Amino acid sequence: MTKTRVGSLFFLVFSTIYLYQSFNIHLLPGSHYEAMTAKTFPYYLGVMGIIVSSLMLLFSYIKVDTEDMFNWEKLKTFDFKKGTYFVIAMLFYGFTIRTLGFIIATIIFLIIGFRILDEKNWKVILFTAFGVSIIFWFLLTQILGVYIEQGMIFDYLIGVQS
Amino acid sequence: MDGIYEGITTALTTYNILMVSIGCFAGTFIGMLPGLGPISAIALMIPITYGMEPSSGLILIAGVYYGAIFGGSTSSILINAPGVAGTVATSFDGYPLAKKGYAGKALAIAAYSSFTGGTIAAVFLLFAAPALAKVSLSFQSSDYFALMVLGLTAVAAFAGKGKFLKAAIMTILGLMLATVGTDADSGVSRYTFGNLDLIDGISFLLLAMAAFALSEALMNVIENKKMSKEEKEALNKDIGNLTVTKEEFKEMAPVVGRSSVLGFFVGVLPGAGATIASFLAYGMERSLSSVKDKLMFGKGSIKGLAAPESANNAACSGSFVPLLTLGIPGSGTTAVILGALISYGIQPGPTMYTEQPALFWSVIVSMYIGNIVLLVLNLPLIPYIAKLLAMPKQLLTPLVIFFSLIGVYLVTFNTFDIYMMVIFSVIAVGLRLIDFPMAPMILGFILGGMMENNLRRALTISDGSLNFLWERPITATILVITILMLISPLISQFFSAKIKEEDR
Repeated sequence: MTKTRVGSLFFLVFSTIYLYQSFNIHLLPGSHYEAMTAKTFPYYLGVMGIIVSSLMLLFSYIKVDTEDMFNWEKLKTFDFKKGTYFVIAMLFYGFTIRTLGFIIATIIFLIIGFRILDEKNWKVILFTAFGVSIIFWFLLTQILGVYIEQGMIFDYLIGVQS
Repeated sequence: MDGIYEGITTALTTYNILMVSIGCFAGTFIGMLPGLGPISAIALMIPITYGMEPSSGLILIAGVYYGAIFGGSTSSILINAPGVAGTVATSFDGYPLAKKGYAGKALAIAAYSSFTGGTIAAVFLLFAAPALAKVSLSFQSSDYFALMVLGLTAVAAFAGKGKFLKAAIMTILGLMLATVGTDADSGVSRYTFGNLDLIDGISFLLLAMAAFALSEALMNVIENKKMSKEEKEALNKDIGNLTVTKEEFKEMAPVVGRSSVLGFFVGVLPGAGATIASFLAYGMERSLSSVKDKLMFGKGSIKGLAAPESANNAACSGSFVPLLTLGIPGSGTTAVILGALISYGIQPGPTMYTEQPALFWSVIVSMYIGNIVLLVLNLPLIPYIAKLLAMPKQLLTPLVIFFSLIGVYLVTFNTFDIYMMVIFSVIAVGLRLIDFPMAPMILGFILGGMMENNLRRALTISDGSLNFLWERPITATILVITILMLISPLISQFFSAKIKEEDR
């Protein structure tokens, strides 16, 4: 399996779904008489996507480039586990930023991030996480005048600030 | 003339000079970090510019762009790790010079070449932009549609050997993503799947941040590359004297002149950019050099360092020509800048030149100021800025990810955007692993809406007929160029095969 083949298969499936979904775009009554409707552009894009990805798939069988082959040795050195942890941490940040509020959520996210990347010095971890979160919050709310919600947990504990 | 005067006074306000200086510093720092290029640098700075005047915001962004290219050169020279593709050619001779103990000289040569390249290009821009803006006032929707097709095709055509189809499909993906949300003409929702968060479509900043800054940071996590001992030593080593001798200046002068002109014109071309300009300039200088000089290329040649450096900076200025005059970006970086402009409520194009001359000219003037800032302030500070490169990656990467996420969140305060960003960045990492380029996608995304609108207008004017494609000579000419560009790889392949056959 070459990289191009994997990519072209992904885009072939994606373009087919995209094209299929273009038929589900509901048009307004009478728009059928227009030169171009909301469906037209997506329809042609879907068709083009299928053509280009099919060509790519076809060429990947005709000519196999050594550079296009997966380098399994190199892939083995990649740390996908850490990458996955980071993705989870980012989703968690998205979940906590409104519930715990900007400062607490950011501190937690940064601490988790530093730990995922094996930073062992807790002084550095805490200093950077607290420092960045508080300075950034201060800069946004007190200097740039950006309103940031205090977090649902604070709304619950101390009531909604007006 | 009034416009130029207004532009100069706008650019020379204390606040705007401060903005261009901050932009140059931030850009230099981000550009130095391996993996983070100018697109990421600009995307990271855009949320900060939302609260500013459009001219100040754009001036800051232009400074970031220049700074990122300069920063890329610094890491290319010092540790042979170009942060930006446009400075890969710089490392060919910059790094060997640094290894010989002339890091300071190499950095100074790079800075002087960049400054001259940027200056020459800014002068060219001063004349080329208004001229093109005047011509483009006569452009109609069909011409714009054809120009966008040309721009997107060119990006694919210049993507490199064997990458044409990959770049083409990424452009189409960008165009597809641009159709998500409410159709601007009919108000019909498309590809929202009943989700209210998608009604307004996908934000360009979200996509740019996910496809570049976030996915580049995630790639850093996955690749788990540690700074080698050699790199650490190089950073801690004294960079030496920054002076360039008279003889060296004499040697550099014609090279810089030629490369700047070449770089500017390559930058103007849609799809080409700093990377192609720097490689072309390097190649050109090598072939123009004497046999003795040729041997020095790759071993620390001053010409080999000056050529790509002046060309890549000139190309950066050149790439602003189609953006400012036609409103059509020719590269991923200018596409992100266009996205920023649109979010400020400004539509670049010929009308910008006539209706907002202060903004138009202030950007051009600020490019020149940016060059001065890089030379006068950044160059002497390079030894200190370079030390930041030694900042532990385990601290830097989570911070980059945090700034990417919060930059998008602070615009909408919608956590759905964070989730969407994470999903897009995971897909982007997957696509990076199988060598699919990201820049054509962002270009397609930015141009998608405009392309559809112009096609709709052209079709409505021609009563649904495709005659508009060949009725106007400008449209037809642009489309013929597009077709030639499409088939040029096939033609060159055919001829090279024939030459090989004849040789046998």
